[in-house]
Amino acid sequence: MRIAVLLSAGRHPVSGKPTLPRTEAQAIRMAAGLGAATGLHVGPDAFPAEAALGHGLDYAAHIACAAGSDPVGPLAARIVSDAPDIVLAGRRGQGGDETGLVPYAVAARLGVPIVPDAVAMRPATDGLVEIDQALPKGVLRRLVVRTPVVVTVHPAAPPPLPFAFGKARRGSIERIAAAPTDLAAGAPPPEERPYRKRPKMMRAAGGSAADRLKAVTGEATAGGAKVLDHQTPEDAAKEVLAFLRRVGVLAPASAAGPGRRPAASEDASRHATS
Amino acid sequence: MTRLRRDPRTERAAARTSGAERPRYDLALKAAPSRRPRRDPRAEAAAQRVPAAARLRLDRSQFGAATVVATHVPERQTDKASPKPIIVENPDFLVLVVPDMAGGRLGEHDRQLFGAARELAGKTGATLALVGASSADLGPAGADRVAVVARDPDAYDPDARAAEVVAAMRALDPKHVLFPESADGGDLARRVSVLTGEPLFTEAEQVSASALGRPARCRKVEQRSVPTRLISVAADSVASYSGAPREARNEQVDLASGPAKTAGAIVSATRIPADPATVPLALADFVVSAGNGVTDLDMFRQVVAALGATPGASRVLCDAGLMPRAAQVGASGTVLGASCYFALGIAGAPQHLQGVADCEHIVAVNTDLHAAMIARAGLGIIQDAQLVMPAILEELERERRETGT
Ligand SMILES: Cc1cc2nc3c(=O)[nH]c(=O)nc-3n(C[C@H](O)[C@H](O)[C@H](O)COP(=O)(O)OP(=O)(O)OC[C@H]3O[C@@H](n4cnc5c(N)ncnc54)[C@H](O)[C@@H]3O)c2cc1C
Ligand SMILES: Nc1ncnc2c1ncn2[C@@H]1O[C@H](COP(=O)(O)O)[C@@H](O)[C@H]1O
Repeated sequence: MRIAVLLSAGRHPVSGKPTLPRTEAQAIRMAAGLGAATGLHVGPDAFPAEAALGHGLDYAAHIACAAGSDPVGPLAARIVSDAPDIVLAGRRGQGGDETGLVPYAVAARLGVPIVPDAVAMRPATDGLVEIDQALPKGVLRRLVVRTPVVVTVHPAAPPPLPFAFGKARRGSIERIAAAPTDLAAGAPPPEERPYRKRPKMMRAAGGSAADRLKAVTGEATAGGAKVLDHQTPEDAAKEVLAFLRRVGVLAPASAAGPGRRPAASEDASRHATS
Repeated sequence: MTRLRRDPRTERAAARTSGAERPRYDLALKAAPSRRPRRDPRAEAAAQRVPAAARLRLDRSQFGAATVVATHVPERQTDKASPKPIIVENPDFLVLVVPDMAGGRLGEHDRQLFGAARELAGKTGATLALVGASSADLGPAGADRVAVVARDPDAYDPDARAAEVVAAMRALDPKHVLFPESADGGDLARRVSVLTGEPLFTEAEQVSASALGRPARCRKVEQRSVPTRLISVAADSVASYSGAPREARNEQVDLASGPAKTAGAIVSATRIPADPATVPLALADFVVSAGNGVTDLDMFRQVVAALGATPGASRVLCDAGLMPRAAQVGASGTVLGASCYFALGIAGAPQHLQGVADCEHIVAVNTDLHAAMIARAGLGIIQDAQLVMPAILEELERERRETGT
């Protein structure tokens, strides 16, 4: 299986120094478990391609183009000529506009499907790949998808391999000059101002301090409490289990619960007659 | 006795006679009374008095209960009793809202999305919710119109959903389309953006009719723009709609004009529930937690495993080294996102309750009827946790025996 990893020019959130975004380093690790991977970066600076070699790639292509130009066209052109089975990208960029639109635009340009938020991938039978997608609350969605496919990587994927200097020296970078594209292709750049942190939204802005405490501990929404006093532990246990089942966090007693008991006895009688 | 509050300035202004060069006042004239209500401390104290107490006790949380309201302040109780839905008959424009509605219910993020949509719609526009199944919550959440699209709630076909939204956009020509910036909502927004070729304003943190704002460059700058057509709204940054309920009128939308359906590349999709034993506490859906009232922790771990839950603990147990620090629930531990919380022998200190503020269902077992945890719980059981835990194991074992044979 052949894989292309899209590498963007990230910035460290604190120091502002150029770094490879973490999700893209995770994508490199994920690609290493699948087959031969190459890196692909479009931009004025070769740094992301060099960093990717240190994180585990043997080979990366750097398509040089002017700062601020749209990377989608050159990326799509290169991917069409390489024809990889899987294109891996980060979920969002880091240090730029951070819109996460580039992988979607590339997929649309190539006319291939896109699967977001992968945390694991395994090759399945011919032309298929199994992808585990991260959903909220630790739930996974396991998809079987036909290749070629564009996949974005979720931060919950396995951590990236550490940067190895020797590996970065041994790998090779191919430098390509992109056909010049018109700079102001998209919408005009939005107005920017320094970021101002705003207070977190509160559930309910109460009047008094007691109200605000109730809002923050959830007492304001609590209500309709059922309190059971003077019960034997056995009855209490039954009540608790019934409540948990009603809420839906505990599986029902069993598929063959009290309601299915006749079926079980029917089974037994059949065994007895045969 | 109610006396109206005097406002000397208005009295003087009213008594001023016009026409004179110097200010002159006709003090025989009476000024209109001020509209500010005068407080009556005696009546307030009487209302705060706790009835059955031997000594004088005042319940200060009843603040302002007996504040005397001037008679001419209109009472709003009549429209509270029967809230009439607000109807926008002929809207100037539509704001299309595409909520996630995981499990067919409106989540907190979805409500905030409607808050943003109402902000953009203002008085003359209408919000239209594009949902898979209608819900009674949509009107109070701020939906003027509801369009129900028949679709299989369990199927995963994001391309089909994007095509649906594009078709609705072609049929209705909305001024704005709003998506939640969640796992599935953010994905859908980007798909619609590339399908229509229109720019998407992602992760908007400020939404108003005049401007949108979003963080960029690792939250170093804030990008602002006039409201674009496609917007995805970040979680917990826009207030949900709090006005009177909206009409939520059903509307038929013709979705035939959508883009042509392509052959699905997704061969199969299965949901794999999180493993409760390994999922991080913050992500767990069902947490069973032990406090200082639990002495037999081996038994506690058995109960947690038998219920298929994630273990938690109060700070007392973590400080004592009886439970790992990662299991601590509360302000200085983990704030839970669980839907159900089962507290065994926990008093419910405010620092602990902060960690379970978002939990919808709470069960508490405590020997103390007056524990704060019991007051917070949906089901409170006054019993010794050491006796209830083996009883739960016994009950589950009995069920297994009965169904096993
Ligand atoms: C800055 C700060 C931060 C804090 N952060 C946290 C935090 O993040 N998380 C946290 O949990 N705490 C936190 N605390 C501590 C918190 O204030 C309480 O001290 C703590 O939560 C109490 O834990 P507990 O309810 O288990 O113990 P206790 O207060 O000792 O309560 C034990 C409860 O168990 C009941 N009980 C006793 N025996 C039995 C029995 N046999 N069966 C059933 N019930 C029984 C008792 O009636 C009592 O209600 C913080 C405190 C501070 C000052
Ligand atoms: N100039 C680029 N060259 C290669 N890949 C890119 C480039 N810009 C973005 N990407 C990929 O697209 C993902 C999302 O980026 P963005 O849309 O900028 O948030 C990144 O994590 C990269 O994998």
